[in-house]
Amino acid sequence: MSSNQCIDWQGNLACIQQSGLVIKSRHSIRGKHVFGPDSDYTTLAISGLELLSEETEISNIKFEEPIDLFVMQACGYSHDEEAVWEIVCDLDSASISISKSEIVSWEVSGNEMDEELFTQMNDAWEEEMTAVSQGAFVSEQSYRSGGPSRMNFNSQSLGEIRIWPPREMIGDQRPSDAAPMKKSGKIESWTKLSAGGAPSEFSLRAPILGGISTVFVRLDEGPCGVFLIADDEDGKPVIGNSVTFAVRRIYAQDGLIRYGLKALLS
Amino acid sequence: MVDVAVIGAGQTKFGNHALGLKGMWAESTENAFASIDGDFDPSMVDEAFIGSIAFGGGQIGNTAALLTEHTGMDNIPVRRVENACASSGFAFRDAWMAIKSGQADIVVAGGIEKMNDLTPERKRFWLGVSGDTEWERLAGLTFPGTYALMARRHFHEYGSVHDDLVNISVKNHMHGLDNEFAHIRKDVSFEKAQSGFMVADPLTLYDCCPTSDGASTVILAADHVAKKLTDDPVWVLGSGAGSDHLALHDRPSITQLIATQRAAMSAYDQAGISAKDIDLAEVHDCFTIAELMATEDLGFANRGEGGLFAREGRGRRNEGQVAINPSGGLKSKGHPLGATGTGQIVEVFKQLRGEVESSRQVRDATTALTHNVGGSGATCSVHVFGRDLK
Ligand SMILES: CC(C)(COP(=O)(O)OP(=O)(O)OC[C@H]1O[C@@H](n2cnc3c(N)ncnc32)[C@H](O)[C@@H]1OP(=O)(O)O)[C@@H](O)C(=O)NCCC(=O)NCCS
Repeated sequence: MSSNQCIDWQGNLACIQQSGLVIKSRHSIRGKHVFGPDSDYTTLAISGLELLSEETEISNIKFEEPIDLFVMQACGYSHDEEAVWEIVCDLDSASISISKSEIVSWEVSGNEMDEELFTQMNDAWEEEMTAVSQGAFVSEQSYRSGGPSRMNFNSQSLGEIRIWPPREMIGDQRPSDAAPMKKSGKIESWTKLSAGGAPSEFSLRAPILGGISTVFVRLDEGPCGVFLIADDEDGKPVIGNSVTFAVRRIYAQDGLIRYGLKALLS
Repeated sequence: MVDVAVIGAGQTKFGNHALGLKGMWAESTENAFASIDGDFDPSMVDEAFIGSIAFGGGQIGNTAALLTEHTGMDNIPVRRVENACASSGFAFRDAWMAIKSGQADIVVAGGIEKMNDLTPERKRFWLGVSGDTEWERLAGLTFPGTYALMARRHFHEYGSVHDDLVNISVKNHMHGLDNEFAHIRKDVSFEKAQSGFMVADPLTLYDCCPTSDGASTVILAADHVAKKLTDDPVWVLGSGAGSDHLALHDRPSITQLIATQRAAMSAYDQAGISAKDIDLAEVHDCFTIAELMATEDLGFANRGEGGLFAREGRGRRNEGQVAINPSGGLKSKGHPLGATGTGQIVEVFKQLRGEVESSRQVRDATTALTHNVGGSGATCSVHVFGRDLK
């Protein structure tokens, strides 16, 4: 592992060091790193592990709350108390260390975030946790059963055809499980939804953010999908432009945060 | 095989109603009964199919039994038909099939929805119930969003522009202005329709249908019965229906609705006609882009030329090549989900019999079409009607 490579990575700040990696939110308030509108320790952990996985294979890892066990498993990481790799969250700052031996650290300044926006978003997430559906909803079971596809692009195949999201039958045949797809694609269409145009699940946060954006993407391996934009970025999507993907929070309901892949605009 | 006629049709005004489900259904059904010129009595009805999403969950189970018991149709087989916004288009098709099969002579097809007795937040929970909940909803999409994706892609692939949608909005508001049953009766100028607030970019307020309460009722009869009950039947010349992937991302193209194309092809085939024979069409313009795509999918415009069709005003009542949405469409007349499909048939019934307000009458109309879409195109029914049996 090459040391002290510090980069912008999936909307976060990451620094690979001799014995591991530090990954921090790129947002800060008065010098302290804070989470952006759809990030938390779990999304930082997945992002950091993906970066490390480019150089070394990691499947078992030691971690504890507040990192979401289900999301980690859906992304292919098992929890193991005896594992050589360990994730340690800095609970005073939006920052984690993923390392083999000792906690690694790194000082870097983030972009100053509007404090009022930060407080409003935090309050909204808290309120959302107690929200219950009054109509259509994605049940916990259906969210969990789609987890590996939603969070890791686990796919299926039938002959030469790549399938995602998963299907039960194609004609009279059942597709078989296939490897996760590459997390890249091209924008074919997009929209920005005002609070009035978005489902109620977003009714607390959409007004604060001035709307939420969704892209219709053709993935590089063939299938299409619809995705929210990561970090609720202001940037305008452009048809034909490439996107990559990262796990982020989608919404909370019935006390459960739903996570999924969101598009990162290039 | 037996021919099927519409012998009566009626509806409530679409919009905000103080009446509940039973009251609205009674009003529309009473209007439908009253439109039958001959000696009719509700106990003559053999079967009833009522389309509804049961928005808000007020009466999801056994909706049809609740309604028909209040309109003199006791003890007959009834059921609620659900296919999202195409519920009553499919209720009508089921009623038509019941007569075609020889099982029934007089059948009621109707639709109903109560949307405006919910808080705005609860409403938005229900507005998405007919989309792909697991994937689209988790990407922030309900119907304004899915249709916005189709619109932007259509702009990209074919060079259509938002002003084409504005033209559709202005036309439909103009058509609906004198319709006593319409929800939004406002003269909307081009500039006003251009400057509505954004709902789902590029779709603004004036690209979206409103949320409406309403009910509609249509009475169908086999030819031998129809001739006894009316001198002025409207004949069902063709009934087509189709379906498609629920989610946009599973479809080969998001700038056309395959379900519409299949439904139209089958209805035209049965009627032995083509798009050029249609004088007026009530098409499913839940969003203005839906009308633009429908003009292509139904064969009024060439593929990719729906924008040009709108720009040239070819859908204007008594001016264009075919009157598209002479009622004002979902945009102006309103869209009480389950009531919309049979509501379109009420309009066609009256237009073909020359019974609408004179300012709205499509002149010399003999052949008409209705096009009713469920959600973003997962289901669709198309019906062709004529003054005469071919
Ligand atoms: C477009 C939409 C978001 C507007 O809702 P809203 O912002 O809550 O609008 P309101 O009901 O508060 O109405 C505000 C004003 O706009 C008018 N209005 C409402 N919807 C309208 C529409 N679609 N077109 C034109 N005017 C409309 C109202 O009459 C009202 O006018 P007023 O102030 O003069 O009384 C809402 O109508 C909607 O969600 N439509 C789509 C419904 C849908 O998805 N159906 C399923 C289709 S498949």
